[in-house]
Order: sequence, then structure tokens, then C-alpha cells
Amino acid sequence: MSNVAGKAYAMNVITPVRWYTAWLNKLYFWAAVKFPSTLSGLVTLSLIHYARWTIIGRKSFPHLDHRQPKETLKYSYMLFFSNFNGSWEQYVDSFTFAIPSGLDLFWKWNVRYSKSVPLTPFHDYIQYNQIETPHYYNAYPLASSNDVKSAANVRATLLAFERAASQDESDEAFQKRYHGLLRALQHDLGEMHPTPIVTMAANQVEKRTQWQSRVFEAPNAQS
Amino acid sequence: MNKKLELADIQGNVLRAYGRFGYPAARYVCLNVKNEIRGRDFIAAVTERVTTAIDWSTEDGKKLKPNWTANIAFSYQGLRKLGLPRASLVEFSPEFSQGMKARKDILGDQGPSAPENWDPVWERNGKDFESNVHILITLNGLMPAPVTEDANGMQEAREASLEHREQAYEWLLEVVKEHDDGVAVLGGHCGANGEKFDYQDADVLFEDGMPTAKEHFGYHDGISDPVIEGVPYDEGRVEGRGKLLEGGKWAPLATGEFLFGHIDEAHEYPPAPRPILLSRNGTYMVFRKLHENVGTFNAFLSEHGKKYPGGEELLAAKFVGRWKDGTPLVLAPNEEKRKAFQDKLKEASLEEQERMLSDFSYEDDMSGAKCPFSAHMRRINPRGSLEQVAGEVPGSMIRSMKGENEGAFDTPGALANRRRIMRRGLPYGTVSDRTSDKGNHGIVIMMLNANINREFEFVQQQWINYGNDFKAANDKEILLGNHNIDGKSPSKAVIQVDPESDDVPYIVSDIPLLVETRGGDYFFVPSMTALRLIARGVIDPT
Ligand code: HEM
Repeated sequence: MSNVAGKAYAMNVITPVRWYTAWLNKLYFWAAVKFPSTLSGLVTLSLIHYARWTIIGRKSFPHLDHRQPKETLKYSYMLFFSNFNGSWEQYVDSFTFAIPSGLDLFWKWNVRYSKSVPLTPFHDYIQYNQIETPHYYNAYPLASSNDVKSAANVRATLLAFERAASQDESDEAFQKRYHGLLRALQHDLGEMHPTPIVTMAANQVEKRTQWQSRVFEAPNAQS
Repeated sequence: MNKKLELADIQGNVLRAYGRFGYPAARYVCLNVKNEIRGRDFIAAVTERVTTAIDWSTEDGKKLKPNWTANIAFSYQGLRKLGLPRASLVEFSPEFSQGMKARKDILGDQGPSAPENWDPVWERNGKDFESNVHILITLNGLMPAPVTEDANGMQEAREASLEHREQAYEWLLEVVKEHDDGVAVLGGHCGANGEKFDYQDADVLFEDGMPTAKEHFGYHDGISDPVIEGVPYDEGRVEGRGKLLEGGKWAPLATGEFLFGHIDEAHEYPPAPRPILLSRNGTYMVFRKLHENVGTFNAFLSEHGKKYPGGEELLAAKFVGRWKDGTPLVLAPNEEKRKAFQDKLKEASLEEQERMLSDFSYEDDMSGAKCPFSAHMRRINPRGSLEQVAGEVPGSMIRSMKGENEGAFDTPGALANRRRIMRRGLPYGTVSDRTSDKGNHGIVIMMLNANINREFEFVQQQWINYGNDFKAANDKEILLGNHNIDGKSPSKAVIQVDPESDDVPYIVSDIPLLVETRGGDYFFVPSMTALRLIARGVIDPT
């Protein structure tokens, strides 16, 4: 088990909300989507792939089979789900440093929520309520979300550059356009390599499992 | 500032970079504890002479300024050897108890910087009981005011500072001798020609007989350093050194970012070992001996300097974020402005100079046209600049806003305020041939922080050896990045330009390894109270 795959980390946190205040959360979520400037801090944290909050009513948990025992839940739950780049601490800390009031608004009505500042009780709260990720597949372990955005920008800009070319363009005009291209991409030209190790523990797991090499070696191992 | 720290309880090197206070000559000595009880007797004897952070600027304080300073710090193994109870030991942070060597994969100490290539004193550290670096003692010699203003006067003053350092060292050797059944000095610090010393010296560099603030690449160093709440002699130095607030104002950082037992930026006491008397007013210190490849640096700079449209000096400035003379690039992005800045600086009072050199942010340079994103300073202390999003103009970055006068984050320095480090230390060695990397010269840097993992290690790993927070993918910080450590992957960096100009971004390609690690470890710098408790062996957290 590891919540880390390449440059990405998967986080699931599920926290109880009293059913009679759950609608307040829904209201906040609605307002946040309606007035995106409230989320500008979150969007500015470029290590985040995405973050999603949702309320699962106490009666809407899946019941998949008649053999599954019926439960009567006391609480509704808020599911927070996010993928991001970097370590758990970097992520949680970035949240609390940058948008503590925003966090408090989303979690405010959750049972025993500690507030995001001071930090240690908040760390404890998230850790306690986090559901570990037993299996995590990452199609692009080398890429952070910034890397993907940059690559998309490089591609789009290059294609547009090419489309704008014409046979009768002078050398000077071409050079000017080329310089413009470089300028437009000056924040997208970083080189992509593997992530620096996320934590010592994750690094050890990575070394032991060596999933890439296992996949390729498997047929031999069986023969 | 209302808060007043207990200056007499805090070791002097925590709040002062001695170099700035007239101590240009330093000596660092590593010791091993052989016997717990006699080791503690040794600590008791040293503690008598440890220099505290008391104010030297007042009338009474002036008299207390010593001819030489002495400070002491312990590695985790040292604290263990001295008999700290298990219950206290387990509350030190994991990275501190592991030590710097074990953290090499986080720090990027690989290739030429790998621990097997460190100076013997550091390379052997941890291999057996007798070689463990348990104690680090740092000494500094005072340079008196020169009697005459000329080179002779300066020479005499300089010699006096060296003499003071020798006195400090003699004192230490005497105390060691009295306790030689308890402690031993560990040798194996490399000198210029491979000779081994029992100590590491570090000295302010002199030029034409005059002291400078330069390091071996030729940059003016030691300007920016965090200012925290409660230090009376830093009250006038907050601009550019504290934390950035909305509207370009500055406030001192919360003391707990650097000192245990005080509230930090997250409004809590930083995690620290109990009992509180053991940790309060103490901190962690990261000691690193960093070799500078001066020949490689000069060749690399001159090669790119020929191609870079702004020329060699501007390119050198782009690597750091300051011109070699210390002028901040964001305040003076071209030669003409640099000159004007220096002219003004020369006219200014000392206090005003301090402010001029540090009071800036990157708010007017969000795209990096003046100070590039991979420059040493911008990477290590981005100030408010991580509150950024891509702008409308292709290739631009702008400050991310929530409202008209309100940034997207609760405070502009949100992502920087908890990643700050205090820097101490001086250059070591001399460079006889500026075209060669050979010899032994660089910077002994000592960094203080209350959380090594969150502050120093984070900066070293995420901001120096990785660039994602700076939208630079894996591109490393130019000066310190562990470039090309495997010999197969030279780095590059982008020197950004004004996106609305006709300028062309410059790609600094094939960046070689400019700085190599030659040793170091993590230490705990206790308060005076804690030193006395450790010496008496009466630490009890229960
Ligand atoms: C040989 C190695 C190094 C050299 C040549 C060097 C050089 C410099 C120079 C010239 C400056 C600008 C002057 C100033 O503002 O004080 C500076 C600033 C700074 N350096 Fe270094 N440095 C080195 C290593 C390090 C290391 C290892 C760290 C920490 C990981 C570090 C942290 C800083 C910080 C925090 C600043 C101030 C940035 C600010 O507050 O704006 N330096 N360094």
C-alpha cells in the first residue's frame, strides 16, 4: 500500500457531518461553484490536480447486494478526494498556509473538526479520517499537473506557430515569430524527469516493489 | 514589537551572524564523547564560556562583547551518548535522529556530493562509536576597530582577530585536555592541499587588505536573513527580511519558526522534545561544508556570458538574483540602474543601506523578467511570488487575486513564510587559481530552523533540486542544484524576459555541478538552561 504513484499522491478523507447540517455544506459547495473567486486560492495551488468535496447522505451509501448487512448510519459523511503532486505534508500545509479560512468553511460543520490553524490538530484530524489507498494506478508517473499543462501549451502553441507559417514569410519575419514563440513558452520549457523522492518511506516502498521492472520481468519469472 | 526574548538564555549564534558583528574568523571543532559522565563534566566546563545573545548595542552590553565567542551544539548520537532519557530522545524529529548522511536522497547529496566523498571527519561519522560526531563547537575571533584607517591598521586588526581565534582554540584544547577521559577532538577536516586538520576554519575574504562580504564566486553574501519577533537589535531590519504582508508591508516572522517554546506561524508551539526546559529557546542547526567549483563556474559563466545578450555580469546576477555587488536585480535590472543604486547606497546611512539591499518583493516581476525563476534567491525565498497564475499575455505570470486588492491566498507569503532559514557561517579556504576547481574552498553554512524537514530539507529538495512550484518542471536552481551528478543529465535553466517586449528568453544549457557537499550533519543548539541541565544529567520529561 502506498498513497504515492510517481509524482502523484491520492488522498481520500471521509468525515462525519450531522445530517441536519449537511445541507449547509451543500450550500457552501453551491456558492463556491457559483462564485469561483472564492476558489481562487485553491486554483492557485498548482500542485493540485483537482480537489473534490461531496456529501454522502446517511441513507445514500451504496447497498450492493442483499447479503450486505443493512446499516443505520448516525451521520452523513463528507468525502474529500484529491490527487496532487508532492508529499502529504506539502499538500496539507499548502492548504492551511494559503487558504485556512476556505478550509474552515468547507469542514466547519464536520464532527470534531479542529480548524485548520493551529496545524498539528488539523494534521491529526486529516490523518485520522484519511482512507489509505491500497491500489493506485498512475498512467503518467513522470508528469505533475504543471508538466501536463505545460506540455499541452507547448503543443498548442507549436501547432499554431506552424499553421501561421507561409512560404513567402521572410527570414526576419520568421525569426521574429520564433522569438515570440519562445517568449510565449518561457514558463513551459522545464525538463521532465522522475520526481525527487517524496518521502523516505515511499522511496523504500518504491525500491522494494519496483513495479515497472516487475511488470516487464513477469513472463521470465514464470518460465 | 512587544515580545522580548530571553536573550541571556539563547546561544549567541542563533540570533547573530557573528561575521556581521565584527567576528571575521571562525573555527569549527567536532568532538566525540567517550564517557558519559566525564562528557557531561566537559559540557559543564564549556557552558561557563558559551556566548549568549545578549544585546551588545546598549552601554552595558558593549562591555560584554567578548574577544571570542564559543557556541555548542549536539548531534542526536551526542545527546544519546550524554545520557538523555529515551522519553526525550524519541521526541526529537526523525530527520534529526537520522542525521544528514541518511537523508542524502532527500538532499540530493549524490555523485561528487555523496557522503563517501566527504571530508574524513564527516565521512567516518556514524561508522563506529569512536568516530561519531557528537558535539560541534563553533568559535569566532573578534576584530578590533583598526587603529589607523590604512592597510597597516587593517592588517593589525585582522591579525588580532586571528589571535583571538587562537585564544579561543587554546581555551577549548585546555578544557578538552582536562576531560580527555570524557571527550576527544575528531580530526579529518580537509585543507587546501589535502592535509587534514583537527578543525575547520572559515574566514571573511579579504581583498587588497580590506575585508569583504564576498564568497568565492565573487558575490556579495550574507545580506538577507529572516527577522523574527523579539530581537531588539533587529527591530530596524524588518523590511525584506520579515514576512510579506498585503500592500507591500513587512512584519517580523513568528519566533517559533526558529526557536522552540515560542508560537510559530501556524499559531502553535513547534513540536519539540520534552521537558520544555530542554527545548525552549533551542533550535536545530544544519551544518554543511560546501565546496565551490570556482574554475568550472568561471568557465561556464564566461562561455554563456559571450552568448547572453546582457553580457557576463548581468548573467552572473541572473544566477543569484543580485548583482555581484549585492544590488537586488528586481530593483536594478540593468547596468545603468545598478550604478544609480550603488551611488545612492554609498550616500545612505548604515541602517538605510540595510533596508535598501533587502526591501523588495517580486510583485513587479511576476514573470521573472528581472529575476529569473531559477535564480538562487528567488528559489530559496520566493517572498510573495508563489501566489501566481498564468496571465493573459502568453509567457506571463501574474499575481493571483481574489478581489481587487486582495490576493488569492490569505497572505501573500503563505507558501514562503514557513520555509525560511536563518543562515550563519563564512567562506572557507582560499582560491589561488581562479581557473581551477582544485583545492578546498567554499562556504561553511549553518542553517537554523525549528523544523529541519519543513524548512531546510523542503527548500533543498523541492526548490533547489526540483522546480515544480516555479513552473519549471525538474529544472534546478542554477547555483546549488545537483546538476549532472550522474554525468548524463546536464541541467538547463530559462532566463525569462518581459513577455510584452521583443526580447528572447535565454536558455542556460549544460549547467555543470557548481557546488559540492563536503560534509555536515544535523545538530541541536540548546538554550543555556538546557545546557546546564544536560551537563548535570538531570533531564527528566516525566
Ligand atoms: C556555495 C554555496 C552558496 C553560495 C555561493 C550562496 C550565495 C548566496 C548569495 C550571493 C546570496 C545573496 C546575498 C544575500 O541575500 O544574502 C544568497 C542568499 C541566500 N542564500 Fe545562498 N549561497 C549558497 C548556499 C546556500 C544554501 C545551501 C542555502 C540553503 C539551502 C542558501 C540559502 C540562502 C538564502 C535563504 C538566501 C537569502 C534569500 C532571501 O532571503 O531573499 N544558500 N546566497
